[in-house]
This record gives sequence, structure tokens and C-alpha cells, in this order.
Amino acid sequence: MKKQRCFIDLLSGWPVVFLLGLMATLWPNGSTAHPMPNSVVLLTIHGDRIDAEVQIPLSELQAAWGHAVNDSANGLVARVGPQLRDYLMKHIRPQSPDGRDWTVSVGALSVLETQNPINGMYRELVAQIRLVPPVGASSPEEAVRRFIFRYDVVLHQVVTHKILVSVRQDWARGQVSDEPPMQVGVIELDIINNRIPPLVVSLEAGSTWDGFRAMVQLGIRHISEGTDHLLFLLVLLLPAPLLVTGGPDRRLSWGEFGGIRYSFRRILMIVSAFTLGHSLTLLLGALGWIRLPGQPVEVLIALSILVSAVHAFRPLFSGRTAVSREAWVAAGFGLVHGLAFAGTLINLHLDAGPMALSILGFNLGIELMQVGIITLIIPWLLLLSQTPYYGGLRRTGAVLAGVAAIAWVIERLSGEPNAVTWVVEQMARQAWWLLGGLALLTLIGWWRLQQVKQLPFS
Amino acid sequence: MKPLMFLSGIGLVIFPALLAIQRPVYTPAPVQMANPLPMAVPTDCASVEGLAQVVCLADAFKATLNREQVAALQLPYSKTDAVKWSNFPEFGGRPRRVGIRLGLLNPVQLKAAKALMGAVMAQHVPNEGFDELDGNLAADEYFGKTTGKTDTFSPGNYFLAYLGTPSTTGLWELQFGGHHYAFANTYNYGKVTGVTPSFRGVEPMAAITVNGRSYQPVEQERQAFAMVLSGLTNTEQTKAKLASTFRDVLLGPDRDGQFPVTKQGLRVGDLPAAKQTLVLNAIRLYVNDLDPATAATVLARYTAGLPETYLGYSGSETLSQSGDYVRLDGPGIWLEYSAQPSRDFPGTVHPHSVWRDRTSDYGGN
Repeated sequence: MKKQRCFIDLLSGWPVVFLLGLMATLWPNGSTAHPMPNSVVLLTIHGDRIDAEVQIPLSELQAAWGHAVNDSANGLVARVGPQLRDYLMKHIRPQSPDGRDWTVSVGALSVLETQNPINGMYRELVAQIRLVPPVGASSPEEAVRRFIFRYDVVLHQVVTHKILVSVRQDWARGQVSDEPPMQVGVIELDIINNRIPPLVVSLEAGSTWDGFRAMVQLGIRHISEGTDHLLFLLVLLLPAPLLVTGGPDRRLSWGEFGGIRYSFRRILMIVSAFTLGHSLTLLLGALGWIRLPGQPVEVLIALSILVSAVHAFRPLFSGRTAVSREAWVAAGFGLVHGLAFAGTLINLHLDAGPMALSILGFNLGIELMQVGIITLIIPWLLLLSQTPYYGGLRRTGAVLAGVAAIAWVIERLSGEPNAVTWVVEQMARQAWWLLGGLALLTLIGWWRLQQVKQLPFS
Repeated sequence: MKPLMFLSGIGLVIFPALLAIQRPVYTPAPVQMANPLPMAVPTDCASVEGLAQVVCLADAFKATLNREQVAALQLPYSKTDAVKWSNFPEFGGRPRRVGIRLGLLNPVQLKAAKALMGAVMAQHVPNEGFDELDGNLAADEYFGKTTGKTDTFSPGNYFLAYLGTPSTTGLWELQFGGHHYAFANTYNYGKVTGVTPSFRGVEPMAAITVNGRSYQPVEQERQAFAMVLSGLTNTEQTKAKLASTFRDVLLGPDRDGQFPVTKQGLRVGDLPAAKQTLVLNAIRLYVNDLDPATAATVLARYTAGLPETYLGYSGSETLSQSGDYVRLDGPGIWLEYSAQPSRDFPGTVHPHSVWRDRTSDYGGN
């Protein structure tokens, strides 16, 4: 069952990416706006507790609590932090179904200021709250899934206020943060009876298997949506079927097709080395043993594409050690890409057990997607590399990849997207067409080759 | 030769890419004058009166429209469409209202539409009835131009719909609405069976001048409520004061049939007669927006129910501060007025006010 799903994911990956991209472009901006002036509670379900992020519009908080929190939002946390914590503790009271109170603690508080075309300037308090069920009859895994959420921050006074409660992440149900939060209910005044009913939260049971499977899918999606990882892999494979000509005293260049055995050996070496590299740093990064800021990693990834593009244009290594040197470089770049992969997992803030499974599942997904792409691309490259068209394709591919890489370096250093990176993203959405073009080119090349062979003097 | 081919190969790839990044420039669609030629001049239907005249004018407006426009205007009666009113602005990302957009009408059609609206509303009373509606549209135009959001805020963004075929016997609703305005007259068995939910609001609250006319459509309502509240003794104020804070009306759009079981505040019947009259004056400013015959029937019912009507408020008695709120909750009437901060005119407040009826919202349907 799982295998089948993964295969379907593999096939549907690109069209889905394309459709999502299209929807993002066409969707009116209003739909992504914060549903003002409501509060939002985003729950992250862990094995033994819930971490909640609470977002409260300051204008509403001021009307309910005073302290001029909206009129002077500067230094708010420093000024009234302790009172704010007391206030939140008083109005956030989850209970087990048997009526026993959970332990609530208020973590970091911050003020978020956003400018929105529909709503103008907008300030909200963002509070991190930890909710821990009491030890008792049910296991912690069950306790966090069924509770009575008594929450009336702001609403106890401002009865026109609403609180939208959503699950942002529920690992055991296979829901991770990059999906839109799933709304579980709204806390608001029951106008008919003039009371504030608590929200009864009842989440479906989860399992380790659901969590693991979701992480495999996340890994698959990460590669299929990560244009830079994909491009790196493709450019790395572009010259794999070719022999290196030239030597110590002559300029190196890519020669002709080196045979199936030769090609497979190089592909295997390159891909294995890259995989070893990124698996290592994914593990170390996700466990928090090494940590690098995101920006340099992203820049290094773009540079890795540039280097492999140069290599695809003209070989950087020759001689007997060329293949192993290539593999070392692939492994080195693998280390960099793995750090970026690790970032995705770190952002999930998982506990040790789920994290270990996530590293495994996520990496498995990445490998599956890599193998899938290689399986789709390599046959055509092997065939095409035996035709006269290959030189042009390789050089064009290398130059375009190089341009894209430089554009990414600039984008990631400046923080501003540019026209080239935009074009690359658009082209990535047409991946099926590009693959079709590659296949077509191969067929034409082989047909021409057969014609030439049939000529009497060739 | 080879490098040349190579370069042109790259060119072939880059050129379409460059074309692709030329994102289309947004040009607002011109207002469609689907029916530019004046049709028959709408009849004034003066020979008939009451509901017959309303139906006559409704048919006359319909007769000025082309088939496509009629399809937008004339819908079968359904509660699903009846509840699609709101006080929020209508824009691309949030389409909601049914009916035909006034912005799509040519002058002849618009005149016929306004003749119909005029027949069901009070005429020639400054800032009340049809003039209040006109003032609201003018304010929205001012709002759009001042904020640069003319796509969202404009007199063209109001909708008129017939839910059910206008007739002097059957069930149908005349629905009109847009930003800060909703009107819903339900007819059945040859008479008016409901005149709510009805919404009044305006932004900015201050007087605006359009074409030499000054409008301040909801100011009288504010003053009338302020008169009621400031006329109360301390004891009466304490009884009327609600503990909660209201940043908007409670029973706005989508809050159908959610009237509280227990009425809150001060029983109007416990007030001296003069103060009861002040309450009735506030009610009149809503009911008398309707044509006099309809208004008289509704007002008689609300007058009879006045002693059992409860007055509640929150915030200040002036109804000019952010969060100021007043409510009348009676056997029939439900009236809320809420002052809330303006986003686009900082430092000012603007009103949202909803009128519902416990028994005859949507004609009791």
C-alpha cells in the first residue's frame, strides 16, 4: 500500500506542484490575510503535551484588558510582561474530560506588527503557551487528543471577539507544518444563552506509522519542490556517460559515450557520494549537533550548482582518479545540501523519538525521489549521449544551469528575487514537458543516427 | 559556425523566457454598458398604489434589462440567497451578494431601479429613507476616492435582487445591499411580511458634500440614541449598562435566528413616558425609512411592544467613542448600534447598526 502511494506521489508530484503554484498566483490576496480582528490559536500536538501559539490582536486585547497595549505597543513585553502572563494563565484553562486541570505555562511573548493592504497597520501579541495534561487514567498520547479547551482571553470581556483554533502540526497524524493549519473549532459567545462555551477538542488517534509515512512524503515533496536540489542533481549527471579527453598537457574536454558499464559506475559513484554526504549532515543537523545559519547554506548550494555546471561544460578532473575525485566533490556538496534538509526537520521542533523516525523517513523520501528522477532521466541521457546532439544539449544545459546558479547566489545574498530565478521557477513547473522534449530529442537523434548508418559510404 | 549555432540555441531558450516574465499589466475592465440604448421610458406606475405599484415598478425595471441582466436580477426565492446580505465591502476576493450590480446599469436602467427603491422607502426626508440610502452611496464613493480603493468602494458596488417573482400574491423578497447597507422587504399573500434584516452604517461618520449636497446619513440615529442614554438617571443607567464590551453588532450577517433567550438591560416600560418617547423616536428613525404605509404597520407593533422592550448599552452615552454600543431588544424589535474605530480615517469612529425582528426576519421564513 505504502509503495503504491509513494509511486503515485512520484508521478503526481510535478503536476501538483504546478497546480499549487498556479493557485498561489491566481488566488486573491485577501484569502491569505489574517482573519482580523480575531484571535488565532495554533496547536502543535506532541506525544505528551501541546505547544500552542496564540495570536491576539492588540486592539482587541486593549478593549478587554486595558493597559493601553495597542496605543503604546513599543516595549510592551518588557513593560507588562508579568501581568500579561498572569492574565493569559487565568484565561487559558484546558481540562481533561474528567474535569482535571492541565498545567499551563506561558513561554516567549512578542509583538508582531504587520502592514496589510486590506486592514492597514495591524499589531498582535504572539504568545507561546505549553499545555500539559495531568498524569492519569489515559496515556499521555491519548490525553493530548481529547480535552476541554476553556479559553476566553479577550472574549471574557469583548463578546464580539472570536478565537479560531487550529492544529498546525500533529506528527502522529502525519500533519506537519508546511501544510495549512486544520481548524478544529471556533470559540465565541453563544449569543442565545449569553455564555462562552468551551471548545471540546477531539482529535483522531494517531500512530507512529502515520508520522513516519508523512515524513517520507515530506522528503519526496522537498526534492520535487526544491528546484535547486533537482538542478544540482541533473547537472551533476549530465556528463556522466561521457569519457574525458585531453590530459596533463592538453586542455580537458568531454569526449564520447563511454559505454553503459562506465556510465553506470559513474552515476552510482556520484549519487552514492551525494547521498552519503547529505545523509550525514541531515542527521547531525536535525539532532542539533551542528548548526549553520540558513543563508550561507543556501548560498553554498547555489555555488555547488555553479561548480557542477562548470564541470558539465568542461571537465575539472582527468586521469584514473577522476571518478573518485568527482565522488568526493559530490559528497562535499552533499554535506551542504543535507544541512538545508535538516533545517526543514529542525523547524518541526519534534521530540527525540519522532525526530529519529523523521530523519529516517525524510531521508528515505529524498532517496526515493532522487532514484525516481534518475530513473526517468538517465535512460534518455545514455541514449542521447551516443548521438551528435548531446554536445549541444550538455553545453546549453551547463550554461543555463550556471546562469541560474549565479542568479540564485545573487538572490540569496540580496534577499530579493530576480527575473532569472523567477523564470527558473516557471520552467521547473514545466518539468514534464522538459522531460518529453528530452525524450523527443533522443528519438530524433537515434532516427538520424540510423539513417546515417544506412548510407552506403558511412 | 558551431559557436554561432550554440549561441542562437541559447537565444531560442532565453527569448521566450523573457517574454514569459512580461507579466500582464492589470487594466480595470471598462464598465459594461450591456444595454446602451434607452428602452421604453419606465412607467411611473402612478395609476396603481401599494404593493401593486411596487410590483409594477419592479416589472418596469426588469423590462429595461437584457436577458443576461434579468438572469442576474431575477432569482427563485430561497433562504440561501436571502441570507447572503452583509455589511462588508464586496470585492473580487470575497464575492457574496446576489443580484445585479448597479455599476452595470445604464442611466435609464439605473433610473428605473431607483424608482423601484423609492417606492418602498420614505421620500424627501433629508438623511432618512431613500435619501439615507443615497447618502450611504455618496459616502462610499467619497470613501473609495479618498482611500484610492474605488474598485471596492463605489456606488456601483451595490446589488439589487428579486428573490422570487414580484407579484401581488406570492412569496418574494426585494433585496438591496452593499457596503454598510442592507435592505430586505419580504412579500407574501399580497402584503409585506418582513422588512428585516436591515443594516445601516456609514464611513466616514462626518458630513460629506457630494454635488453640492451635504450628507450625514446615520447622524440622526446616533443623536437619538445619545438622547435616550444621556436622559437616564444614574440608577437607570446602571440598570441599562451591560457588563460586556462590544466591538461590533452581535447579530450581523450570518447570525440569523440567534436572539438571546434572556433580554438584558433596562425595561423600557419602567421608564417615565417622556423617556419612553425618546426610545420610540430612535426606533422611528429606522422604521420610517420605509414607505409610510408599511412603516405605520410596523411602528404600531413596536409601539405596542415598547414596554416589554429592553434597553442595554456599553461604553459612553454619546455613542461617539470606540466601543460605544446600544441595543433595543423587544418582543419583535432587535436594534443594535455600535461605534467602532475607522481604519481609513484614523482617530474617528463609524457606526454599524443592524435592525432585525424576532418574528419577521426574512418574512418569518
